[in-house]
Amino acid sequence: LGDVAAIAVCIALPMLVPIAAVAQALYPRDAPKQPGAPSWARERAALPPFTPPRTPEGTPNLQGRWTGPNGGDDIEEHDYVDVSSPPEETYISDPPGGKIPYQPWALAVQAQHRAGLARGWPGEKARLYTDPQTFCIYSVPRATYRGGFEIVQVPGYVMILYTFNHYYRFIPTDGRPHALAADVKLWMGNSRGSWQGNTLVVDVTNLNGRNWLDQVGNFFSEHAHVIERFTLADANTIDYEATIEDPKVFTRPWTIRVPLRRARPAGGDTYADEPWENACHEGNEATEHNRSLGFKWFKGAAVP
Amino acid sequence: MTRHSIRSAIVVIGVLLIFALAPDPGASQTPAAYTPPRTRDGHPDLQGVWQALNTAAWSVEDHPATLGVPAGHGVVDGGVIPYQPSALARRNEHFANRATLDPETKCYLPGVPRITYMPHPFRIVQQADRITILYEYLHAVRYVFMNGRPHPPGPIDWWMGDSRGRWEGNSLVVDVTHLSDRTWLDRAGNFHSEAVHVVERYTPAGPDHLLYEVTLEDPKVYTRPWKMTMPLYRRQGANNDLLEQEYDCYPELLEQEWEKPDSALFGRP
Repeated sequence: LGDVAAIAVCIALPMLVPIAAVAQALYPRDAPKQPGAPSWARERAALPPFTPPRTPEGTPNLQGRWTGPNGGDDIEEHDYVDVSSPPEETYISDPPGGKIPYQPWALAVQAQHRAGLARGWPGEKARLYTDPQTFCIYSVPRATYRGGFEIVQVPGYVMILYTFNHYYRFIPTDGRPHALAADVKLWMGNSRGSWQGNTLVVDVTNLNGRNWLDQVGNFFSEHAHVIERFTLADANTIDYEATIEDPKVFTRPWTIRVPLRRARPAGGDTYADEPWENACHEGNEATEHNRSLGFKWFKGAAVP
Repeated sequence: MTRHSIRSAIVVIGVLLIFALAPDPGASQTPAAYTPPRTRDGHPDLQGVWQALNTAAWSVEDHPATLGVPAGHGVVDGGVIPYQPSALARRNEHFANRATLDPETKCYLPGVPRITYMPHPFRIVQQADRITILYEYLHAVRYVFMNGRPHPPGPIDWWMGDSRGRWEGNSLVVDVTHLSDRTWLDRAGNFHSEAVHVVERYTPAGPDHLLYEVTLEDPKVYTRPWKMTMPLYRRQGANNDLLEQEYDCYPELLEQEWEKPDSALFGRP
């Protein structure tokens, strides 16, 4: 009954949100495979060269609201799992084959995470952790490849305003270096941007490694370094890449690469184009529920 | 010390006080006297990282120092909030039980105007049809819509309310409604109801100062509208012009409380 209740809470919570949060789709067993990095590589290869429009400052204009792929419950390729997890292609463009290049100990830890989710999947063991995002936590790069944000460019800075729980990043692009001590660890990290050709490159350090990359426990540690690349592939698509380096966890750097699509203009309601409050932590009943079920608090993977 | 020298010392202190209290003729900090730079759109430029430097976060009224609480002058015009008698009793009950009742102890969004004078900086970004305020505290974001639309019809229970702005001379005037009765005004239990109507006024007072005035009207709680006034200061120094770090209150709090069986944090908000 507890697991049924947990699913009911997960389904019910978005319905309590007064404005259009992205609806949680329910997928049938024969749902088509959701596109990921391989589909995007094929689509991108067929696109003609694109010259992006410019802001008054002369930088490529990435402004607007952007949506991500539908899935992302598991960023590696997977078959149908359950009504909330349709089959999906991998989000990983490198290494070829689309698997995360974990070191052996880290692969074992990821398997523990997956086996402790208590989602009613084969091979599960005792409850261990719930995806930290359940508790209204976000992080880079997960926040970005999931989509659901607005980019605003002001002179010298790029602002990314995420819908989920009002997270934001205010990224200087004036060439200043990172200026935080290495032992300061942040959920969203410390971002420094630069324009390389038509691409916005964001260098992210000081990440705390305490969120997951998806719902099944893929992870990096507090030693990770992330490099994001935002390039307009056409007027309504950002080619988004996130390269993750973490020599304590992976055998080599690897890259997530997915398209972010321009959100369709909001229609109908007078206020439809206004971003309204998205308070997540306040009254989040999933927190109490998951705690009462015996899930532990994820404090980051213990790097050997 | 002789009686004479004491008297001399008092005179000296008195003279110093007169100098300290007199307006400094060299300062051009009065809002009327200062002409702020303009944005590309021609509006007064309020952009940058600002912070209140006072003790209003602990109490907006005069308060003595107690353990962990700095003493401070209040920011309420006239000194005290004009509570209705029943509301004053409730405020006092809040104060007595503030360790568990204050919504800040649960890391909830603090509402407006409380977020302005939390001891954390915030950034103002002006765009064509809205002003975005990014707060370090809880990575809260406020959109002040400048598109001329009225408040959406209520009732709406929002932690940070609905903010609609306009320019009056050099002042940004923000009209805030749809606030929740679950937020407080400070750590001393001062409060409002969901009927509160908040009007904020941000006026450039110099290159590095904003005058912040906020009026609260709430017929359920106060006997009349009342006002708070304080300066906001521009953050100075290398990298202090960024909100470089986050104050992510709730993950830290949840981790701290997760394994305490009797934690007061969990349960109904």
